[in-house]
Amino acid sequence: MGETAETLKEFEQKQEWWWAAEKKRSRRLDYLRKAMWKKGAIGGLYPAGLYIDLERPVMQTEKAKELEYSPDPYVIKFAKILAHVLDNKTIFITDHSQLVGYLGSLPNMITWDPTLAAILNHEVVNDPTSIPEPMDESLKIISEVTGYWAGKSDLDKILPHMDLDDAMKVLSGAVGWGVPLSRGGYSGKDYEYIMTGVRAFEDIIAELDRKIDEADEKAHEPGATREICDLYDKMNMWEAMKITLEAGIRYGKRYARLAKIIAENFEADNDRRQELLQIAEVCERVPAKPPRTLQESLQYDLFIQLFSRNEAIEGAWPARPDYYHGPYYERDVNIEKTLTKEDALDLAGEFLIRAAEVSQYKVKWAREGLQGIEGTWVWTLGGVKKDGSDACNGMTIALLQAARLVRVANPTFAFRWHPKVKDNVMREIFECIRQGLGYPSIRNDPILIANAMNWHGHPIEEARTWVHQACMSPSPSTKHGFQPMRMANATANCAKIIEYVFTSGYDHIVNMQIGAETPDAAEFTDYQQVFDAWVTQMKTIFSILVRPVNRARMLAPKMTPRPFLSAVSERSVESGLDVCDPSINRGNAWITAFTWVENADSLAAVKKLVFDEKKYTMAELKDALANNWEGREEMRLDFVRNVPKWGNDDDYVDGIMLDCLHAAAKFSRELKCPSGNNWPILPENVSGNIHYANIVGALPNGRRLGDALYDGGISPGPGLDKKGPTAVLKSCSKIDHITDGRAFLLNQRLSPTQLAGEKGYQLWKSYMKTWADLGLDHVQFNCVSDETLRSAQRDPEKYQEVIVRVAGYSAHFVDISRKTQDNIIQRTVQGLG
Amino acid sequence: MKCPECGYEAPVASFRYLYNARIDASVSIRQCTRCQAWLAIDELQGTANKKIGPGEAPWGKSAGIEDLAEDIRPGK
Repeated sequence: MGETAETLKEFEQKQEWWWAAEKKRSRRLDYLRKAMWKKGAIGGLYPAGLYIDLERPVMQTEKAKELEYSPDPYVIKFAKILAHVLDNKTIFITDHSQLVGYLGSLPNMITWDPTLAAILNHEVVNDPTSIPEPMDESLKIISEVTGYWAGKSDLDKILPHMDLDDAMKVLSGAVGWGVPLSRGGYSGKDYEYIMTGVRAFEDIIAELDRKIDEADEKAHEPGATREICDLYDKMNMWEAMKITLEAGIRYGKRYARLAKIIAENFEADNDRRQELLQIAEVCERVPAKPPRTLQESLQYDLFIQLFSRNEAIEGAWPARPDYYHGPYYERDVNIEKTLTKEDALDLAGEFLIRAAEVSQYKVKWAREGLQGIEGTWVWTLGGVKKDGSDACNGMTIALLQAARLVRVANPTFAFRWHPKVKDNVMREIFECIRQGLGYPSIRNDPILIANAMNWHGHPIEEARTWVHQACMSPSPSTKHGFQPMRMANATANCAKIIEYVFTSGYDHIVNMQIGAETPDAAEFTDYQQVFDAWVTQMKTIFSILVRPVNRARMLAPKMTPRPFLSAVSERSVESGLDVCDPSINRGNAWITAFTWVENADSLAAVKKLVFDEKKYTMAELKDALANNWEGREEMRLDFVRNVPKWGNDDDYVDGIMLDCLHAAAKFSRELKCPSGNNWPILPENVSGNIHYANIVGALPNGRRLGDALYDGGISPGPGLDKKGPTAVLKSCSKIDHITDGRAFLLNQRLSPTQLAGEKGYQLWKSYMKTWADLGLDHVQFNCVSDETLRSAQRDPEKYQEVIVRVAGYSAHFVDISRKTQDNIIQRTVQGLG
Repeated sequence: MKCPECGYEAPVASFRYLYNARIDASVSIRQCTRCQAWLAIDELQGTANKKIGPGEAPWGKSAGIEDLAEDIRPGK
């Protein structure tokens, strides 16, 4: 024991937190963490040992064929296919686990949904690393499955109903990122309906039966009205919801039976036998009935997440686990004392691990844009309750502590800071940051609640329930406030705005006219003409991205329904309408603005060097950009070094940033979602700054084609913020974080040596006070030294567990590309104090 | 420009441009089209300085408090 304690101390002194965590965590967590298969793609490819799971595609295809000529409406056929999968998929229980359920048939399998898009299926066929052996047999199955779904998949069905010009521009990959599908994006959940302990699946089924009976009775009364016509579709939708809920209950009971069989026939260890019987009892209970304990609550939540991901590819995991599981923690740990804090910590840690291993096969651009992780599982902690009081509880602490023990890169946390947060919670957050997790990111709750009310008109009680729908965007978890699907293609590669100013909208990377045909930039005679062209390109690009999403949202209820997600949504259970139906949704849309800051820095460079100082002409600049700055290194450096850069509290460039944001905010109110609400912008990047490196041409900020773009949101360019952390905060504080956009990501890098000990905590706390006083809505930190990161590049095997904050998410450093690694290392290390 | 690894000689633009992780420095990474080595290039001089291995940072270290990066602001 003495030796172990000493070793732990040594690891902590050396700030090798990953080895310290291994020493600190329980034997159970240690086993489960090591038994977990990381699913994030390295660069753009899945790592060795992970394989595409063919079990579910085969089941989906066989059931679809069986139902092809049945008289069932599509939504019921779809529900039956989902039920068939849940009833027949292989299930397993990991040794030492207390929570069960996985998407695939084995822990190292990545699930593939062939019903979504032919473009995804083509990638499966051509995947160089993940097709399971024996290859010939697998390829035969893949060929049969993809052949069946060609023309029948969601995207294949939806695309002909789109504006094909818009669709082609989106699918070019130059300006957008993602596809407009209700089964491929970020699904919010109506947690206020499903996770408050009031009801579970059996209660909802009883409600659906009542709805169907009432409608059936009404449909057969004397008379004929439009309302009666609509009832038939509603009855089908309610029936489909019921099919999925019943399948979910059966799935839980399959696990109960399996746990019991293992306990009674195979398990020799008495303690483990009792745990298996406990699992059996839990899975008999949930999801059929509301949970009673922390274990049941976590298991119930996990089942819901898995069912939803059996229905759709969900690229995010909006959740508020401390808020919804906290009451069970309080009951089990503090009131009835059926669990110790250590027991609860084990459950919290295992919940993180179970989420971390969830995996769905994605197209390569999605893997590149989210290097090292499976999706943006950004879980929301802290914040206020509906009445405005502090929502932090014992589960908040348990999750923060568990994160440091299991050190998964996904899920990560985002903490809703507000003035009533207690010091002990802030210390736990600081420990996570200091120990290099890169999370939680910190969100300014009062600002973001006001922002939600300003942009989308959410009432204050609903705005206070907000969760992160993806990396950054707040969305309420209420009946009308939650957004069932955020379609990822409303993600703008904003550096193209300034690029197109110089090409009159022609994209030389994909060789097509995408932007507006603005006048020849070489002929511009003043800065206002440049800015006017910028506004025109901005409006054009945003419109190209938003129109397909709006169209897909209108088509989704009939063409790509979500019966399960509808079944756990009050507004759908009540109305009989699909959860994506815009008429029952308040609307919470946003345009993710990738690669945003390049615009301000580029415009400032043009204004200063071309029009203020007249050092270069627009024609010279246009020519330099067209030639990727080749042979113009001195000129390029002039555009980098001798003009003000965003993040240095310089009004020259900061004013241009505000001009851009105000123009975008004004246009955001002209763009409307099908629910009639606004489309504010949200600058952030994930690892899109690397994905777009070879897609964005040379820019006036001195960037060449191939260079990484800035790391995103409103973060200054790496190494270009030379005046310290307060200047960065002051630049960012010139933005109105309530009215200028939906949220603004800020990456900051801190020195691990400076954050050591109590002094480090006090420095950070003081920084956070300035951040809050200045009214910023977001900040996140990297706290790993250059030395460690360079060592990890040299010797990745020894540094497998080093985590870094990429943008809106964290990843293991060794799982991201060299270019991304270098980009993170080059971020300015800010000195506090 | 001459590749220090294999001796291949060609104009700078013939070496495949990869990226410049530090936008405000004239050092970039290009790839030799013959031996595929990653090279640190001085774009002002048009010379290939060295081959880059894992963990090497030809453009210097991070900017900021540790003051390990060369301050390249004009007049500094």
